[in-house]
Amino acid sequence: MRSSAVDNGLRTGVTFGIVIVTMFLIGFTVTGAGLIGKLFGASDSATPSLMFYSLFMILIGMWAGASASPRPLTEADTFKRALISGLVAGLVSGAIAAVIGFIFGDLSANKIDPRTYLPSVSPDSIKLFLFNQTPLMGSLTLLALMTVSAAVSAALSFFFRSNHWLKNKSGETSNAARGFFQSAGLNRVLQSQYASYVFWAITAVVLIILPRVWGSYWNYVFGTVGIYIILGLGLNIITGWAGQLVIGYVAFFAIGAYTFALLTAPEPHHLTVNFWVALALGVLVAGISGLLIGLPILNLRGDYLAIVTLGFAEIIRILLKSDLMTDYTAGPRGIRDIGGPTILGKPFVSDVDFMYVIIVAVLAVTFIAHRLRNSRTGKAWFAINLDETVARATGINAFGSKLLALSLSAAVAGLAGALFASRNQFTGPDDHALMVSINVICLVIVGGIGNIPGVFLGAFALKGLPEILRETESYRLLIFGVLLVIMMRLRPEGFLPARRPELEKHAAQTPSGKEA
Amino acid sequence: MLKVENLQVYYGAIHALQGVSFHLEQGEIVALIGANGAGKSTVLNTVSGILRPREGSVAFEGQAIHETPPQDIVRKGIIHVPEGRKIFSRMTVTENLEMGAYTNNDRAAINRDMEAVFARFSRLRERRDQLGGTLSGGEQQMLAIGRGLMAHPKLLLLDEPSMGLSPILVEQIFDIIQDINEQGTSILLVEQNAQMALAIADRAYVLETGNIVMQGTGDDLLKDPKVIAAYLGGH
Repeated sequence: MRSSAVDNGLRTGVTFGIVIVTMFLIGFTVTGAGLIGKLFGASDSATPSLMFYSLFMILIGMWAGASASPRPLTEADTFKRALISGLVAGLVSGAIAAVIGFIFGDLSANKIDPRTYLPSVSPDSIKLFLFNQTPLMGSLTLLALMTVSAAVSAALSFFFRSNHWLKNKSGETSNAARGFFQSAGLNRVLQSQYASYVFWAITAVVLIILPRVWGSYWNYVFGTVGIYIILGLGLNIITGWAGQLVIGYVAFFAIGAYTFALLTAPEPHHLTVNFWVALALGVLVAGISGLLIGLPILNLRGDYLAIVTLGFAEIIRILLKSDLMTDYTAGPRGIRDIGGPTILGKPFVSDVDFMYVIIVAVLAVTFIAHRLRNSRTGKAWFAINLDETVARATGINAFGSKLLALSLSAAVAGLAGALFASRNQFTGPDDHALMVSINVICLVIVGGIGNIPGVFLGAFALKGLPEILRETESYRLLIFGVLLVIMMRLRPEGFLPARRPELEKHAAQTPSGKEA
Repeated sequence: MLKVENLQVYYGAIHALQGVSFHLEQGEIVALIGANGAGKSTVLNTVSGILRPREGSVAFEGQAIHETPPQDIVRKGIIHVPEGRKIFSRMTVTENLEMGAYTNNDRAAINRDMEAVFARFSRLRERRDQLGGTLSGGEQQMLAIGRGLMAHPKLLLLDEPSMGLSPILVEQIFDIIQDINEQGTSILLVEQNAQMALAIADRAYVLETGNIVMQGTGDDLLKDPKVIAAYLGGH
């Protein structure tokens, strides 16, 4: 087991070493440190301070350590093993970074400017990379920093992962972490239901306060994230649970948005329907369109649904854009002055107010999705996903279940579309390009297909992160791509896989004969 | 109890069943034997409603069911255990069994039935929290049969229960099938292992390229020279 801990650390270390060097070569070490600085409210400056750069590297080191730390599944996964993995990962990645840093530092000291070949590697960035020290001292500092942060983080993440309250209630694991938490007297506190009350109370307070304090830009960014969370949760029903790939999911988003827009905008129909009524109608119309699309194709097997919805989405977008429909849908110009929410007749339309509307919608959809997942219908979807023939043989109405899933998915997309149109007070055909569908599919997959927390994480990673990286404009997509590749390499099932993969290993070793 | 008449089933242009007729009486074990591709599984899929016949009829307890959707056929008491140990690999043993009781809403009854299945298959009780896909071949077959029993079948359709199992496990599975039958469940058994199938069957039909070419009691067919030559590796 010892050698596999070293192997594990070695692999992670090499990966992260390459990541650090890549970041250095494209100049992202400076940008990343600048971003950290900005989080702490530091003013813009060409070269960010050493402190923020150190913090940035520590974060990367901690990430490496957390990745290297084994998930505690068996007795063999001791604390020592986690520490060794983390230590090796930190040492290796630090050593790779240090060697490169030393080479560049030495070049720089000899007045050779690497910018001829690598435009982003400025003398300033080399100096920062080496903590403003001599090449030797700087690279040693880098090595030490990575090693310590990775080892500490490996140990910490080992504790967190093995901690009882983070796992599901029946997941019995005996390990160092339990002992630690018991001895610290924390176990009882963390396991009590008050802990979850406190957790929810804090979350609620944060959700109420944040939109008020972080300004309209962040309300815009996180409003978009929220809308994509809703979309992700919706797509998750048909694709994640029922296992039917829907590529043209944006069609239902567009139907929701346009239904809402046409009902509340002065042009082109002079209707001013109440926000909530229009919202409900948007959801309803999208749901019905899902039903109608599903009726002719859901009793076929294979990827017909993917193809048909793909075509459907394009038809919708082109129709909205066409001159033919201009009188009804305002054509390529789009619809302006879409209505906002009202509460008891009072407008509720500031960016802060709208953020609350989105938060409430996200919570509501999350609640519904959670209930669906654990319902009989949810089990039927999962069964169809795993094996449709057997599902039918056990008496599941496969066609009806899939139709319900698609229709619910479409209704949720309609909700997202209506909220999106209302928040922007504008919607046009270009808001409903296929890229929206692809983004939603990606966020569901990145987060961990079929999993509700995964959708949240995926939406933040795919819609929030690019906004945060906007500072680094020209590198944005590159970094994003690198992150996706790394992620697929390290966690091919998504960041938060849906179904207890630990069960497969865990149960194989401890057949439990306990009575229900 | 089950009466199948002139069943004609097509896969596209392929005429898979070319007029199959047979019947099964209450309490019987009836075996369908034949080579690969003879249409045995097609018969079961048609009876359970997963496939639709182009012509012919299937009647269960006097009612025509060949146009009934599979979920309603399950509710009538015909349970199909598909071939190839088809279990839900990413569900636990318990969850698999719960899916078998999908048509049942009574939690207490489900728990009682599950106890009964565990009593019959003690290995499954040991592995109740394990994912289906991690079970051995024999255990998966037991789970598939157990899942079928959860729905209280009047008629159990078993598709190749011996497939890919060791001789000892095959014996065990066939003992279990006989035991299930003795407790009142009629069984329609599809098998390539003709020896074992004929030994426990009350009556049997031999299927060749979509046609029934021979029928008789299990014992008679076991002694029939043509069957011995074709299916029992005879001398």
